[in-house]
Amino acid sequence: MNRDDYKVVIGIEVHAQLCTQSKVWCSCEVGGSDYENSRVCEVCSAHPGTLPVLNQGVFDYAIKAGLALDCKISPEISFDRKNYFYPDLPKGYQITQFYRPIAQSGVLKIRDDKENEKTVRIRQIQIEEDTGKSIHVQDYSLINLNRAGTPLIEIVSEPDLSSAAEALDYLKKLHGILVYTGVTQGNMQDGNFRCDVNLSLQRKDQEKMGIRSEVKNLNSFRHVEKAIHYETQRHWNLIKEGKEVPQETRLFDIETLSTKVLRVKSDADDYRYFNEPDLLPVFITEQKINSIRADLPELPQTKITRLMKEYGLSEYAAETLSSQSSLADYFEQTVKMTSLPAVKVGNWVMVELMRLINEYNAQIDSIALRPKHLAELLNLIAGNKISGTVAKDVLTQMYDTQKSAHQIVTEQNLALETDTDLVDEVAERLILKHPEEVEQYRAGRERILGFLVGQAMKELKGKADPALISQTLKDKIGQ
Amino acid sequence: MKDIYSLHQMYLKKETSPVEVLQDCLKIAEKNKLNSYITVCSDLALDQAKKAQKRFTDGKPLSYLDGIPYSLKDLFVTKGIRTTAGSKHLLNYHPPYQGSVAQFLSDSGATLVGKVGCDEFGMGSTNENTPYGAILNPLDPNRVAGGSSGGSAAAVAENSCSFSMGTDTGGSVRLPSFYCGLTGFKPSYGTVTRYGQIAYASSLDQAAPIGRNCLDLAAVMEVISQADPKDSTQLRKDPLQLVSSLLNNQQTKIKLGVDASLLEGCDPDVLKELQACLQYLSQNASIELVDISLPHLQYGISVYYLIAPAEASANLARYDGIHYGEREKAENLEDIYRLTRGKTLGTEVKKRIMLGTFALSSGYSQQFFEKACQVRELIARDFDLAFEKCDYIFSPVSSTKALELKEKRKPMSSIQLYLNDLYTVPVNLAGLPALSLPIPSKQKLPGGFQLIGSYASDAELLKTGYQLEKILEGLS
Repeated sequence: MNRDDYKVVIGIEVHAQLCTQSKVWCSCEVGGSDYENSRVCEVCSAHPGTLPVLNQGVFDYAIKAGLALDCKISPEISFDRKNYFYPDLPKGYQITQFYRPIAQSGVLKIRDDKENEKTVRIRQIQIEEDTGKSIHVQDYSLINLNRAGTPLIEIVSEPDLSSAAEALDYLKKLHGILVYTGVTQGNMQDGNFRCDVNLSLQRKDQEKMGIRSEVKNLNSFRHVEKAIHYETQRHWNLIKEGKEVPQETRLFDIETLSTKVLRVKSDADDYRYFNEPDLLPVFITEQKINSIRADLPELPQTKITRLMKEYGLSEYAAETLSSQSSLADYFEQTVKMTSLPAVKVGNWVMVELMRLINEYNAQIDSIALRPKHLAELLNLIAGNKISGTVAKDVLTQMYDTQKSAHQIVTEQNLALETDTDLVDEVAERLILKHPEEVEQYRAGRERILGFLVGQAMKELKGKADPALISQTLKDKIGQ
Repeated sequence: MKDIYSLHQMYLKKETSPVEVLQDCLKIAEKNKLNSYITVCSDLALDQAKKAQKRFTDGKPLSYLDGIPYSLKDLFVTKGIRTTAGSKHLLNYHPPYQGSVAQFLSDSGATLVGKVGCDEFGMGSTNENTPYGAILNPLDPNRVAGGSSGGSAAAVAENSCSFSMGTDTGGSVRLPSFYCGLTGFKPSYGTVTRYGQIAYASSLDQAAPIGRNCLDLAAVMEVISQADPKDSTQLRKDPLQLVSSLLNNQQTKIKLGVDASLLEGCDPDVLKELQACLQYLSQNASIELVDISLPHLQYGISVYYLIAPAEASANLARYDGIHYGEREKAENLEDIYRLTRGKTLGTEVKKRIMLGTFALSSGYSQQFFEKACQVRELIARDFDLAFEKCDYIFSPVSSTKALELKEKRKPMSSIQLYLNDLYTVPVNLAGLPALSLPIPSKQKLPGGFQLIGSYASDAELLKTGYQLEKILEGLS
């Protein structure tokens, strides 16, 4: 028996919290880190006699996600009850979509291990409600229902993934799309976006799938990666020893980076799905789908390709700038307002600006320094008014003081020296001061000129155009 | 006790007052001879009655129900007022919110005498499935008042209130109305909001009033059929102007459909009264009897006892002792569930939860639950086809009159008891409106029949009921 005889088969279920203002069945506000049980009413705490009323806003998000993943949107959908007991599920059932989900049969293109394009099929997207949270204290547990009834979509992939790297690329692309389209905030540490990984090993020469285990509630890409590695090895060890892989639901332990059994799946694991009689079926019109389609923003992959083509960016730069749609927008707006080449603008945005944003832990869309301000600075560089080195310093000051580039440059007298007399004078003085270097240059060691230019820049406090200095030095030495 | 319309006229003419009427009601309710009440709200009711009286003095009554004493089946949620659902599990449950029916009635000025008993979570037809005790039939205290809205029927019949709100999932208002000689109305599914009505079987449950005549029911329906955004399964129609439409109604021609095979299963005394009633009605020029056939109704009980328990198995999952209600002390979570549900839910409730859980479980769901849903469609189609030939359907309410109390009658199996609902259950399965109307008689226990209308014909059905009521006055 050889490990190479087996392939890894992975399917992923992603739960993404939708960006609605209120919960899915009641008008309680979603999110926030308020006191426990402060965003709870009789509906989301399942008091006797209460009924759910669907938050219509949920559709727009779910349809958006469906369209962005090339799914077929169902013209008629309904809701079902998934029955199980758990203290953070006050109704004793979760309202979900089992029989007629909102979207089906989608695709997401990813890169496989050999960097080739691979299509992962999306089985379905369903609308459902989040549960509350159990807080386990030593010998008792507490329940917080603030999260109960938060709208979710669950995106179920077919078992088309075959490695941790593919799974990660799938998740990152999916995350990007859902955040881009504004479907979810996608903060993984807050549980906005979390996933369950189903994994099995299958003999390559057999049609029959292996028995799978499910690792639940992973909320970081790193955990997904570790869990897949751990599970692959665990499955392989069992197979190697001739043991049967039990069908289990497992939990990932963030301390040990391993998984442990939560429960063994069996016939008892029966959710007894049936149609939710408290909600009517919903019809989704072609018109509604079309209007949402028309509003769909450019998706990450399309944007990357376009940025490369339109601005000549490298793939790396295009991907970095497209990591947030607001970052790409910032870049494109800046390009429009400056004569500096787009590739250089790209570098300024993703290197210099991002450095400041990261340093201050800020967000690109909420900083005071807008594209027009950056463009003003970049235009000074393009017009040879200031040097690149000085510009970096000016950018930091602009960020800190909210003064304009012009103001800072003027106030601190940072403009490049255009006084050729002054440059001449400095050049002549340096030639006299460094006769050895001048001699070496004359003997053909042209690189020594750099040293002299550097000395001149120092004397001119960086305010001179290096090209001008270089030319002046050459002329003077040649005389 | 006068009916609602008459009381309203007397209030207007100052012949009596809301406080005076209420005081008479409270005397009976507080004695609680028939065990109708679980909670009597004397102080609150008196306060409400005084306010109503002031409105009449000012000449500004809010509605026909202003100052009218009523009771609520304890399945209706009332903010701050104990609501038990007839279950030990909710022994001390004081809801944090107001149910919509209670709110609508309170807004209409009606005075709430109290919360009346019922079979636990509405599951039963004798009102004996409850730890709060059986409710006695006011016409014969050796007999049951019927269920599950037995408290509602008994309370109206004993004159402790003018009308009562029950709920009807499979006949729970029509049966006790029949047993107690009253008039009950089960509206079309979706006519009355279910928000604040503790769920038994969500696709069948419907709030349903019990009163003394059709005009009473019309006055109540005007108020409770208001649109409620909190129930998305409610039919949104313009508010019904029922009372005036009943009073102004001209006699119209009625084609009354009868499936003779349905009558055959009745006890001889019930059958005799039904036949006499039909005979009498057919002599009236406005009424034409039409033969119809409802072949799938015989499967009603089987279908009902799969669908209702299936929905109940989910609806009652919330009574786990975690968030509200009684909780048994235990060492771990599973024991909390096991002990709490084991000790605070009654035998019939547990039986139905298990039945429903089984009907939905994987491997059996197709055979049982899904099949039942298919047959439900066939039953609904039977009615649709019948209504192509007739305007309303005349049928028994039940094959027997009020049963004797458990300790007095011969033991009956669950199935025998379930058959009490044979004639009422199909109406819920099809979502139709139906009246339970008494047949005037000299017997201690009067006769009664069911008048079934097509879907959403509630207003017309009440008008027809009013018309038949007038015709039948001549029968006694």
